[in-house]
Amino acid sequence: MKVLEVRNMKKTFSLSRKQRAIEKTKETKKIAVNDLSFTAYPGEIYGLLGPNGAGKTTCLRAISTLIKPDEGDVFVDGFSVREDSYEVRKRIGFLTSELKLEDHFTPNYLFGYFARLHGLNEEETLLRRDELFGRFGIGDFQEVKVADLSTGMKQKASIAISLVHDPEFIIFDEPTNGLDILTAKSVTDYLVELKNAGKTVIVSTHILSVVEKICDRVGIIINGKMKWTDTMDHLHQSSETLEELFFRLFEESEGTL
Amino acid sequence: MKNMMTVFRKEFYRVMSDRRLLFTAVLLPGVAIYVIYSLMGNIIGGQVEEVETHEMIVYTENMSAEFADYLAGSEMNVKYEERDDLTFDEIEVMLLEGNMDLFMSFPSGFDERLVDYEDATELPNVDMFYNPSKQFSSNTYYQFQSQLTAFSQAVGLDRHGLDYYIFTINQADEDYEIFDEQKATGQGLASLLPMLIVMFLFSGAMSIGPDSIAGEKERGTIATLLVTPIKRSDIAIGKVMSLSLVSLMSATSSFIGIMLSLPKLMQGENINLAIYGVFEFVMLFTILLATVLVIVGLISIVSAYAKTIKEASMLILPFYFGAVILGVSSMFSDDTQSNLFLYLIPLYNTIQMLIGILTFEINTAAYLVTMISSLVYVSIFVYILNRMFQSEKIMFSK
Repeated sequence: MKVLEVRNMKKTFSLSRKQRAIEKTKETKKIAVNDLSFTAYPGEIYGLLGPNGAGKTTCLRAISTLIKPDEGDVFVDGFSVREDSYEVRKRIGFLTSELKLEDHFTPNYLFGYFARLHGLNEEETLLRRDELFGRFGIGDFQEVKVADLSTGMKQKASIAISLVHDPEFIIFDEPTNGLDILTAKSVTDYLVELKNAGKTVIVSTHILSVVEKICDRVGIIINGKMKWTDTMDHLHQSSETLEELFFRLFEESEGTL
Repeated sequence: MKNMMTVFRKEFYRVMSDRRLLFTAVLLPGVAIYVIYSLMGNIIGGQVEEVETHEMIVYTENMSAEFADYLAGSEMNVKYEERDDLTFDEIEVMLLEGNMDLFMSFPSGFDERLVDYEDATELPNVDMFYNPSKQFSSNTYYQFQSQLTAFSQAVGLDRHGLDYYIFTINQADEDYEIFDEQKATGQGLASLLPMLIVMFLFSGAMSIGPDSIAGEKERGTIATLLVTPIKRSDIAIGKVMSLSLVSLMSATSSFIGIMLSLPKLMQGENINLAIYGVFEFVMLFTILLATVLVIVGLISIVSAYAKTIKEASMLILPFYFGAVILGVSSMFSDDTQSNLFLYLIPLYNTIQMLIGILTFEINTAAYLVTMISSLVYVSIFVYILNRMFQSEKIMFSK
């Protein structure tokens, strides 16, 4: 089974003088995630839930091979991000607000460019372009430069480009951030479609309603540690709602809200 | 290789499809150089012409009639005024204000003393006051000093005949200037072009290099590229190749601008590139290609290290000034270095090779050392760039 497994991952960052001043600390290092473990399965959406600065983005960046874990590892379809990052990158589609499209180019040009980098031939590219541009209505603005697109249009183009190679593992970091309600719904609906198509989907978010609505499995990260992870079905069988669980864990971790 | 070409094509298309960038990076250098150098040439030419046609204002005191007769044969454009009432302060003010170009004071009885020289106890002295900070005054002084020297020699010849001279120089009816015309032209070009070429190669790469790498970091678009399954070395080489091509285009534009404006800048000196054959042009092209790769490699590394375009531009400046200093050194050198170890120094080797090519003194061993060392440097730079693309600290530092 094509699973994505995060195993005892730890990641520490050095703090610059400026960052130390902002965070009001004398520590030169900050542990972003510590001993983090979870598994995401095909045909499921795994929701990584946590407050800002909890370590969600660090975790997803490590999965996408942009950064390397200091300890532990991540396995994507059995390939280690530490040892086989090239193989991992072939299998994942990664979208984060940090990943931007170049303003000068059109969605159509960038789609073709990334298709070539992912090794798609002309025929495969045309098929994927028809499918994804049609799904997100990108055809109307495919020849408009990214600089002239609205936030929603950019996000749609980014999603299409990140999925150009039809990856088995889809990792979206805060995919509905800054989007209007219609575009946000279009994105969450598409994530469900991907799940139904048997893909392994991981989304990070701090919006509880998004998790409630689309996720099959959830992990709650607070201060870089996995505080709780289980299926939504199990949660629904318990006496706590997701919101109650999240705030209880947060209070236990921080001592106060 | 395929991915490398994909990155190369996209980076190249980025410049070619952006009219503003294409204009500023490729066309503007040539146009600006042509306009600036032509303007400089016209200004310099205008100044020279102004000095040549200027009516020299010469005030005299006790003007020698003999010297005046001597000058009558010359074609100098002079307005004389005999004044023996001027004080030193008045002369000073007039020279400083430009109302007088030269004040010549002959001792009284100068002409008589020239005749009765055998009874003289001391030599008669002519005082010449001028303002060396003013071009008209300075030029007038040198012309009159030269005329006085010639007048002095003529008087000496009258007095003593040939005994006055110990020897003469170049008085036979011979063509004493023996030189290779091609080489002389090459020498002229070699004193100017190496510096300009290196400067333009550098500035061409500087105009787009920081945007291509530091700009991608700053805008967050580099991460989009880094999550694709391509080797970091493909990204590095693709970008270096594309930047090199644009830099070469920029340098070519600058070169055309120089060549078109040189006749105006050098005031009609004979500049004919037809003296160079295919061999010289091939050598020139290969040297420029190797150099541009080295420069782009260096700029790419600095850009990858910097967090923003602004920071990259600032960090590149010291390297640019270093290149300019190396270039300026070529302006004062007639010959190329024979020490092969010196051809291991990047950019310096380019300048030496350019001088060698332009003056038809190509040293094959030096050429090989330059080419091979440049390729080694480029390989090292690409390797470093590759490692930098793999470093999360460098790529995602904030």
